[in-house]
Amino acid sequence: MDENVIKVENLVKYFDGRCVLDGINLNVPRGCIYGLLGRNGSGKTTIIRILLGLEPPTRGQTFLLDTASTELSPKLHGRIGYVAEGHNLIQNYRVGRLIKLCKDLSLQWNDEFFDHLIETFRLPTDRRVKELSIGMRAQLNLALAMAIDPELLILDDPTLGLDTVARRRFLELAIELIQQQGRTILFCSHILGDVERIADKIGILAAGKLVVDCPLEELKERVKKLRIIFPESAPANLHLTEIINQQIQGREMVITVANWNKQKQTVLDTFKPSSCTEIPMSLEDIFIECTKPNPEYIES
Amino acid sequence: MHFRIDNASDRPVYQQIMDQIKRDIALGRLIKNEKLPTVRQLAGQLAINPNTIAKAYRQLEQEGIIVTKAGAGAFVANLDSNLSRSVRKKLISEELERIAVEAFHMQIDGHMLLEWFNNAVVKFNLPSKKG
Amino acid sequence: MFALIKREIQDHIAYFIGAAVFSVVFIIISFSLISRYDHRKPPVFSIGFGVPAATIVIFGICAMGATQMYLDRTRKISALLSTLAVSRNQILLAKIITGILAILILFVPLTIAAGILLRLFTPPVPMFTGMVLEISVVVFLMAFACYCIGLQTGWNSSPVTPSLGALFLTCILIPLILIKGFGVHIAVILVLFIVASLIRTWHTFMKTSL
Repeated sequence: MDENVIKVENLVKYFDGRCVLDGINLNVPRGCIYGLLGRNGSGKTTIIRILLGLEPPTRGQTFLLDTASTELSPKLHGRIGYVAEGHNLIQNYRVGRLIKLCKDLSLQWNDEFFDHLIETFRLPTDRRVKELSIGMRAQLNLALAMAIDPELLILDDPTLGLDTVARRRFLELAIELIQQQGRTILFCSHILGDVERIADKIGILAAGKLVVDCPLEELKERVKKLRIIFPESAPANLHLTEIINQQIQGREMVITVANWNKQKQTVLDTFKPSSCTEIPMSLEDIFIECTKPNPEYIES
Repeated sequence: MHFRIDNASDRPVYQQIMDQIKRDIALGRLIKNEKLPTVRQLAGQLAINPNTIAKAYRQLEQEGIIVTKAGAGAFVANLDSNLSRSVRKKLISEELERIAVEAFHMQIDGHMLLEWFNNAVVKFNLPSKKG
Repeated sequence: MFALIKREIQDHIAYFIGAAVFSVVFIIISFSLISRYDHRKPPVFSIGFGVPAATIVIFGICAMGATQMYLDRTRKISALLSTLAVSRNQILLAKIITGILAILILFVPLTIAAGILLRLFTPPVPMFTGMVLEISVVVFLMAFACYCIGLQTGWNSSPVTPSLGALFLTCILIPLILIKGFGVHIAVILVLFIVASLIRTWHTFMKTSL
């Protein structure tokens, strides 16, 4: 059994002549919570849809649980829980009917757990799905995905529409799931705070490429933002590699650089800066820097 | 035990947890040989990835702040007073440096600052002893 | 599989009810028409009754196929189902089985009624039984062919295309039967058409983005 539950190899996707994914390589090992970040329209949903076989790739291959996405059997689908962006459920069905359908079509169903979730979320089973609020639809979708006791949980913006309490409850559920043997979660989110709490590895999509793909705890240590003051005007080129971003204003240069080390420090010292201070970066700051145009890559 | 994760911080989550455990020990909220919650318990309670907490515990064990016993869990180490003092010194020194920087920018006289600090020590009845 | 078929039936129950009602009404009207004639002569259905009835049946069956696919696409039903423990093959097969069931509900009572009518009003000759069977098979295949047209054209974002496509192709099939009559050769043509149509539908459904 492959250690990697999700594998993406050189994935390319064009929509109407526009390149959305430009050679994505990604591996999610078993037991990992992988947080995939990116701005709106960066291709996160596209990757997920291709992984699940809902969309064909233009080039490249994707694998889920050691099987090509285009050949996923019903049995494999039964081991994967999925929450789609926008919570795609059959809108005109009553909640009760939808639950029965999903239950009948599942390989395993944890009645107790599901009933507990329905009760916690206070979801009405007699109303139609389209009559529920976005938040309630999100909760229903999550409950349906988790009730099948999935080996792999794929969540596309799962907390969209959830209030703060419900969001925290979702995170707790995700943690509860991951603590069971051999479970894996891939999720996309815009809420970086949530990602930072629960993700092991993080990926950031920008301009069709995966510009960041590394363990989350390493990210903050590896990406540095430095404020460098020079005695006279700042040089245009520091001849440093892995510069994510660079801004020059007179004597001051602010650079965001990946994998800062002694060698790079030595190179910088040759320019004899007056001072070099580190500007602390939160995950949000790193995300913003990495999603600016022309980013460099940060890989593990 | 309660932890707050600061999303605006530049420190990774596991380091924030380590900092807070160290602070709790230094301030006497966690005492010698006291049992810490398990990784599972803490992960579930705080909705934080268990690997993050496990890493924090591992690092703390490497630094000698906690000890893990197979089957029993993690415990605050039987710290001698020297180790505890070094942790306390580091924490307070960082705060004092921050105050010194602020004072510099406000162009506050050094003697004045020391006088205000002494007043605070007296106000909060901090014990005076050597060592 | 049973759950999928049950879902299809529930979603399109109107067609099943319509088929059953139509069947019953048709039988009642046929019996009443025939009872007015001398029962030693073979039954002759009036053109005024037969043609509209056939038209309703053809368009109804075609509409069912089209509706199944169209609603599926607009309501993103298969998009949800395909993420559950079912394959696209099973989803499509469930639709087709449902369509066949609806057609059977419509035609089996009619076939039985026709058999009874022929026995009641003409001397029972084996040739007639054979004829009923042959005509029933061709009529069933004709209905199934219309259903397949509906399925094929239904997977469109606009409801206009399937309607026009269905109308066009149906207009070809009816004259074909009128010219060729009911026989083995027409059955073969219909089977070939059905197979080609289903393969096309299957291919579209398998390759489409959900």
